[in-house]
Amino acid sequence: MKSLLLLSGLGVGAMVAELINIKRFLFPLVCLGLIATIGVSIYDWNTDIHLFNNMLRLDNFALLFTASLSLITLLWLIGAKKYIETETSISDKYALTMFTLLGAFIMVSYNNFTMLFIGIEILSISLYVLAGSKKNDLFSNEAALKYFLMGSFATGFLLFGIALIYGVTGSFHIDVVGEYCRANAGNIPTMFVAAIVLIIVGLAFKVSAAPFHFWAPDVYTGSPTMVASFMITVVKTAAIVAFLRLFFAAFGYIPGTWQAIISVITVLTMYIGNVTAVFQQNVKRMLAYSGVAHAGYLLIALVALTNLSGGAIFYYTLVYSIATLMAFHILYIVSDNKNEGVGFEAFNGLAKRNPLMALGITVSMLSLAGIPPLAGFFGKYYVFTAALEAGRYKLVILAVIASLISVYYYFKIIIAAYYHKSNKAPIELSPAHRFLYIASIFLLLFLALAPDFLIRWAK
Amino acid sequence: MTLYIFYFLSFLAVLSAFMVVYSKNPVHSVLYLIVTFFSIAGHYILLNAQFLAAVHIIVYAGAIMVLFLYVIMMFNLNKEAEPHKDAYIKLAATIAGGIFMIVLIGSLKGVEHIENLNTPNQSAGLIKNLGNVLYRDYMLPFEMASILFLSAMVGAVFLGKNELK
Amino acid sequence: MTKLVALVPILPLLGFVIVGLGGKKLSKSLSGWIASGVVLISFVVSLILFFHLNQNSEQEVSIKLFDWIAAGRFSADLTLMVDPLTSIFLLVITGVGFLIHLYSIGYMHDDEGHNKFFSYLNLFVFFMLLLVMGSNFLVMYVGWEGVGLCSYLLIGFWHKNNSYNNAAKKAFIVNRIGDLGFLLGMFLIYVTFGSLNYSEVFSQAKFYVSDEPVLIAITLLLFVGAVGKSAQLPLYTWLPDAMAGPTPVSALIHAATMVTAGIYMVARSNILYTLAPTSLHIVALIGVITAVFAATIGLLQNDIKKVLAYSTVSQLGYMFLALGMGAYTTAVFHVVTHAFFKALLFLGAGSVIHAMGGEQDIRKMGGLKSHLPTTYLTFLIGTIAISGIPPFAGFFSKDEILAHAFAHNKIFWLLGLGGSVLTAFYMFRLLYLTFFGSFRGTHHQQQHLHESPKSITIPLIVLAALSVVGGFIGLPEAFHTKHLLKSFLSPVFADSDLRMLPAEITHATEYALMALAIIIVIVVVLLARNKYVVKGELPLQDGAPMTALPKLIAHKYYVDEIYDSFIVKPLHWIGTIFYRFMDIQVIDALVNFVGKATVWSSDRVRLIQTGKIGYYVFVMVLSVALLLLYISY
Repeated sequence: MKSLLLLSGLGVGAMVAELINIKRFLFPLVCLGLIATIGVSIYDWNTDIHLFNNMLRLDNFALLFTASLSLITLLWLIGAKKYIETETSISDKYALTMFTLLGAFIMVSYNNFTMLFIGIEILSISLYVLAGSKKNDLFSNEAALKYFLMGSFATGFLLFGIALIYGVTGSFHIDVVGEYCRANAGNIPTMFVAAIVLIIVGLAFKVSAAPFHFWAPDVYTGSPTMVASFMITVVKTAAIVAFLRLFFAAFGYIPGTWQAIISVITVLTMYIGNVTAVFQQNVKRMLAYSGVAHAGYLLIALVALTNLSGGAIFYYTLVYSIATLMAFHILYIVSDNKNEGVGFEAFNGLAKRNPLMALGITVSMLSLAGIPPLAGFFGKYYVFTAALEAGRYKLVILAVIASLISVYYYFKIIIAAYYHKSNKAPIELSPAHRFLYIASIFLLLFLALAPDFLIRWAK
Repeated sequence: MTLYIFYFLSFLAVLSAFMVVYSKNPVHSVLYLIVTFFSIAGHYILLNAQFLAAVHIIVYAGAIMVLFLYVIMMFNLNKEAEPHKDAYIKLAATIAGGIFMIVLIGSLKGVEHIENLNTPNQSAGLIKNLGNVLYRDYMLPFEMASILFLSAMVGAVFLGKNELK
Repeated sequence: MTKLVALVPILPLLGFVIVGLGGKKLSKSLSGWIASGVVLISFVVSLILFFHLNQNSEQEVSIKLFDWIAAGRFSADLTLMVDPLTSIFLLVITGVGFLIHLYSIGYMHDDEGHNKFFSYLNLFVFFMLLLVMGSNFLVMYVGWEGVGLCSYLLIGFWHKNNSYNNAAKKAFIVNRIGDLGFLLGMFLIYVTFGSLNYSEVFSQAKFYVSDEPVLIAITLLLFVGAVGKSAQLPLYTWLPDAMAGPTPVSALIHAATMVTAGIYMVARSNILYTLAPTSLHIVALIGVITAVFAATIGLLQNDIKKVLAYSTVSQLGYMFLALGMGAYTTAVFHVVTHAFFKALLFLGAGSVIHAMGGEQDIRKMGGLKSHLPTTYLTFLIGTIAISGIPPFAGFFSKDEILAHAFAHNKIFWLLGLGGSVLTAFYMFRLLYLTFFGSFRGTHHQQQHLHESPKSITIPLIVLAALSVVGGFIGLPEAFHTKHLLKSFLSPVFADSDLRMLPAEITHATEYALMALAIIIVIVVVLLARNKYVVKGELPLQDGAPMTALPKLIAHKYYVDEIYDSFIVKPLHWIGTIFYRFMDIQVIDALVNFVGKATVWSSDRVRLIQTGKIGYYVFVMVLSVALLLLYISY
């Protein structure tokens, strides 16, 4: 709750800052606020608070993700500061970012369907606007409108599902619904199953799982690069955690009703994401499809739904977000701060132009591809282990094959960076960006050394 | 009697909703939408929820629809600017929508055995009960909704602001 | 003693960090010496560990660095261990590795990527050490992937040339196929035994019945990994192309160490293979076929490094043949001798290429004997060693393989003998064409012919000495001496030896076989001499008409072309269709249709939206309907 208040305060404060003209303090203020939310999460650790008639449940799982989302947003802000502050309406963008994160926090700690819905809406509405935040850019407008229309459509499904659940169980409380599932495990009415399917559709849309992923490549490509990187990391993490909370607490008692559906969605997502990414010429679009593919890997842990799933998803999302943020940021810099996507040739000769960036993109790509000894490998490893423990061998084999496909397109960038020549001028990095890259590279290597250390928290 | 009114209102709601999609003229669409809202408000009254019915009419049929009409007229969208869509797409969309509807109806079979649905709380929609639920049990979502509206408002202002450089 | 174990891999890692981070700030000679120095210290430590193991009855020395992963029932720790098998590999990796580092100081002196080269080389040594020192399959896998990455980086080291990049990519992708097998094998091991630690897996495996299906599956999957890494049929094609890398890399990675990782893996899991005779049979079959197949290709290659590359593939085939017959010690023995003489041959070839100013075609060489005396002598020793003429190193190890083959299966023996005859022929053909006759290069090249500097010749001399005496660690029992390597390695293979009685042949037969092999090889050498020195024949120029069989061989049996048209092209084709269909036909066409149908006016963007979104929503609704149908049928 403290973190929710803090973020609402920051959001409103950002708008007030516009009035009293202290915009230049906004960045340090917001950074401090994010660090404070991490601190608050640590302070509340092991307390398991139920808030406001059990609307929110701040268990360790929720706190862990609150902290990791704050950390990711902090890293994102360091990179995105320049984008946020280049045009006008600086404080609006800060405020919207804070509201998005607030929505994400609600999505990782909700204990009631109404909170889930409100969380998703706060997150989405702010993002629709952020996607269109480059007002003079037609692509940005297109992305915003497309995201909005598709998003409202998906919300319709989610709401309908929630309504049907209420019809059957007479409650919005996840615990009550879970109790209902447990008591009636052998005798679930069709209407309830239909509700589960509709809720899956609504949430699958948010994690950009196939066949509800169509918006993702277009929106990620059209949005300003920095906003896209925020969407593809923070939003995906929040959505998959919302998924996981719901299934752990409620639908996990009746796996027979949904497991096959999510398995199909998982396989489709991995393959559509990876296969389509192979033939993209535009790096931004390629990364967008790669984001779709990673949603597939995350869903594997959901299908497995063992004790390990939470830890696996925590580790995976953290590592994936760090690597993706770095990749998007490097992309943003090599495309000369423009938002239109660029081809692979933009990375040519990066090793000469700026070795740190070349190292950064290499580490990021290798981690996304899941090549040991980088952290991305262990992310995949834990997800697969969770699935193996649940006995889902076929899914793991399919996932391994899918991840092999992905090596191809990730390596295209590395090859361009190291093996192709370019006569463009060297790139100078600001100290903040250099810090960002070094910190990300360090995290991707360091997290690989101590995966167990992190996973243990999520239990 | 109630049953006949229910069927009439339902028929009206579905028909006018269909006409919203079907009419080529946007102004007509909006007017049909108002009819839909009124028939749904009628349903609320049938369910003994007078307050909701009133709010529904004031907010949706009143405020939002007027705004819609205003926007349509201001941008002069009252010509049939709708682009022609491929007949195949239309056909496919109709079939997909039809299947969806049938399947959804199909999944509602067996509803009569569900306990909660057969013993509704007759006074749930009364203003006193509503207030109790909203300000006691659902306080947090209610307050959080204000953040939702705030962010929507900031967004609207942000996108609508005329930037002078 | 246990602390020392950790030192072995950490030193090269340290070297990598220092040289890698130092970048251009370190002078060339300093970075070269640092990189070589760390490997030398590793070698010394390995020697100490070797003598420790040799003298004490301890079976292994190990040190647990930290708990690495603990997930559910599964846990893996990063434990380094040295047992006799690892110890032998350590000596080869650090010993030969050090010589090649030393050689590289001279060889890469004028290269602009000098420091980068040494940092990669140290990184490679680190991963290779991790591969052989891990105490569970996961650590082996990390090392396995790591050496693959380094190999990729080093093959493409001279990346200005695009075909080199393609070679690097090819190596990486072909290896990923093998890695997939390894990974799946590892999953299956975990599912079956509930652990990845060698000690637990192998001690549980003992209680399995011979030829249990799951054991066959595990061993075959692991073998797929070995086939990829050790360049066996049908995944060998990357190795000849990998010769694009600098010559020291070919010597270290693609001859002496990395490619023998597959042998190490099979030898390490020997008990699993012993319990799966079906898999062993497949291993032997693939090995012997590769040995002969690659040897025939070697007959008609004209690039000095390509000949050596095919020879490596062929010799690796012999090692797998030995493994497949359950003669694990013999396979390791051949790994050791092969490391000596093949590294020597590659480094010698490097010295020749250095002198020739980058020329690799043996048709343009000739008569180098007088210009490069040291290189010639050492190359001669290497050639004799690989051809199997006593008392040089290759003779003993190859003879042991052939003796096993004779006892095991006469057809394998015949094929093996045939392969060694071919080996002798193509190696002496290489030697004669390079060093004998008259010089066939340009005048400019002739003037610049020179013996290489000391840092190049010293490693050559050391390796030549090792190629001469290296065979004595495994004198055959027919000589009534102790097989040193066998007794040293016996604890590792004890369980396998219990289950598999080696097929014995009498000493008289063994003598006869040796004599036969020696006579045939000498005859072949004389034939080669007659053809290339006395008659002075030269290989045909490219494009000259050839009869069917030589043409087939000279084109490497068209394997690359077959892979290209049956695997690469169809995949590409499917990809293109996907692209054409999904992106262009469905999405773009829809957009274009709507776009063209209306005026290109200001609401163009809006109209594109309608078209696309309609399609998206359509797919979404349809999928929801299908999902609902699925649950309610």
